[in-house]
Amino acid sequence: MGKKKKSFLYPLVTAATIAVFLLVWYFVTDVYHMVPSNMLPSPVKVFQTFIAKFHDTKPDGATMLQHLGASLQVALSGYFIGVVVGIPLGILMAWSEKADMFLRPIFDLIRPVPGIAWIPVMIILFGIGLLSKAMVIFLSSFTACVINSYSGIKQTKTVHLWVGQTFGATNLQLLLRVAVPSSLPMLLTGLRVALGSSWGALVAAEMLASTRGLGFMIQQSRGLLRPDVIIAGMIAIGIVGAFLTYLLTVLERFILKGGKW
Amino acid sequence: MGKNAAASFFKNAVATIISITVFLVIWQLGISFTDLGGIMPGPFTILTAFFRSFTHNIGQYNIIYHTMFSLTRVLIAYVAACVIGITLGLLMGRVRLIEAIFRPFYEIIRPIPPIAWISLAILWFGLGEMTKYFIIFLSAFASITYTTFSGSRAVDPTIIGAAKMLGANDLQVFTTIILPSSVPYVFSGMQVALGTSWATVVAAEMVRSSEGVGWIIVSGMEINNITQILVGIIAIGLMGYLLSTILRQVEKVFCAWNVGGV
Repeated sequence: MGKKKKSFLYPLVTAATIAVFLLVWYFVTDVYHMVPSNMLPSPVKVFQTFIAKFHDTKPDGATMLQHLGASLQVALSGYFIGVVVGIPLGILMAWSEKADMFLRPIFDLIRPVPGIAWIPVMIILFGIGLLSKAMVIFLSSFTACVINSYSGIKQTKTVHLWVGQTFGATNLQLLLRVAVPSSLPMLLTGLRVALGSSWGALVAAEMLASTRGLGFMIQQSRGLLRPDVIIAGMIAIGIVGAFLTYLLTVLERFILKGGKW
Repeated sequence: MGKNAAASFFKNAVATIISITVFLVIWQLGISFTDLGGIMPGPFTILTAFFRSFTHNIGQYNIIYHTMFSLTRVLIAYVAACVIGITLGLLMGRVRLIEAIFRPFYEIIRPIPPIAWISLAILWFGLGEMTKYFIIFLSAFASITYTTFSGSRAVDPTIIGAAKMLGANDLQVFTTIILPSSVPYVFSGMQVALGTSWATVVAAEMVRSSEGVGWIIVSGMEINNITQILVGIIAIGLMGYLLSTILRQVEKVFCAWNVGGV
């Protein structure tokens, strides 16, 4: 009985805390003006700006959807190259000892350097267009793909491999029929982690060199002292990031069918 | 057994030397015989510049000072994030009321990349150190809280039930069961967080600073000195590697029964 009552109580508490938070924010800014509006705009202002940005190009030269389109183009193209290169490389390194021996040192050299640090190098090599940003994002997503597919393949149960060998499977069949399917949960985790780091690196890449995109919008609005646009941009980045992760989670559930093979 | 281990170590060392040599030779050939030579320096130029930077200043300081500046920023914010994140994660995992209060904020903040806060943080805290601490704190806080939360949730309820049946009170259950069994999760969160904090300090220093490893890179970009950029990248990579190695050793001491992979 008590349990049932509680399950109503907690969502109520959650709703109440959010309401209190928004109210405090509103009172501090709009009602009592305790914080200057060029530091923290009121929640109402942020909401209005967020809506207005969909058709208004002021103050940074493009609407929210145009910025979003530019950001998605960069993030997804870099991410895609990262997945296409990273996952096969991870599988190769885990499956073949020789490949591991020779490729791992190079990978270990690149791995500890955050993707963001490569931005200036990429700008010098590829200019400030799509390609340089895509390469930065490629480097950020690539490591997560390699690491996860590597440990996924390494966790293949030896017993399963023995069974395959006993039934006369070739090396390729062992890889494609046993190792890769059993590593799928790790592979998909890698895809998700990589997407998160791509989206994070994107903002950094756009802050340093770009003329369009959500990161650019945030960076421009700081110079223009428009925190409402900054917060609206952050909200957009958060929503899109969460949505992309959600898509991958759905995909994961669809492919893995609850992790049962 | 020992002989085998020595042999495989030897084989690995040879492979490492061969692959890095091949990598450097390709790089050198690439810049000697193609147009890349015009924009990229060779590996030896960069290594020389790297070692030179220990005694000669880049900007106002030498490379050790720059690394120390960045490291101090990371450690201050990282320690704060660890303390607050672990506390909040454990509380959220075990106390429903606290979860109901703090979870929504946490879920709202989590999908926003820490770097996206830079602009707002600069408006709030100015261009000083506080902005950097704030951003690094956010980046570390998210993953530590999340893993601690899921760790304290993942405790086997049978064990808690058994302890309660044997007369343990809530505090004892917390200190002897929940805390130890969350430790592997906490460490994996700390491991991830250290990596992201290090990446974030670089980003924060690239957006605005006058010293630190991120500054080395941006100032190299401003004066079009790619050697300086690559020296900065080497320093960042080495320090990042060192930090994760140290934390992995600490993990080995604290939870010897459960050493994480990769």
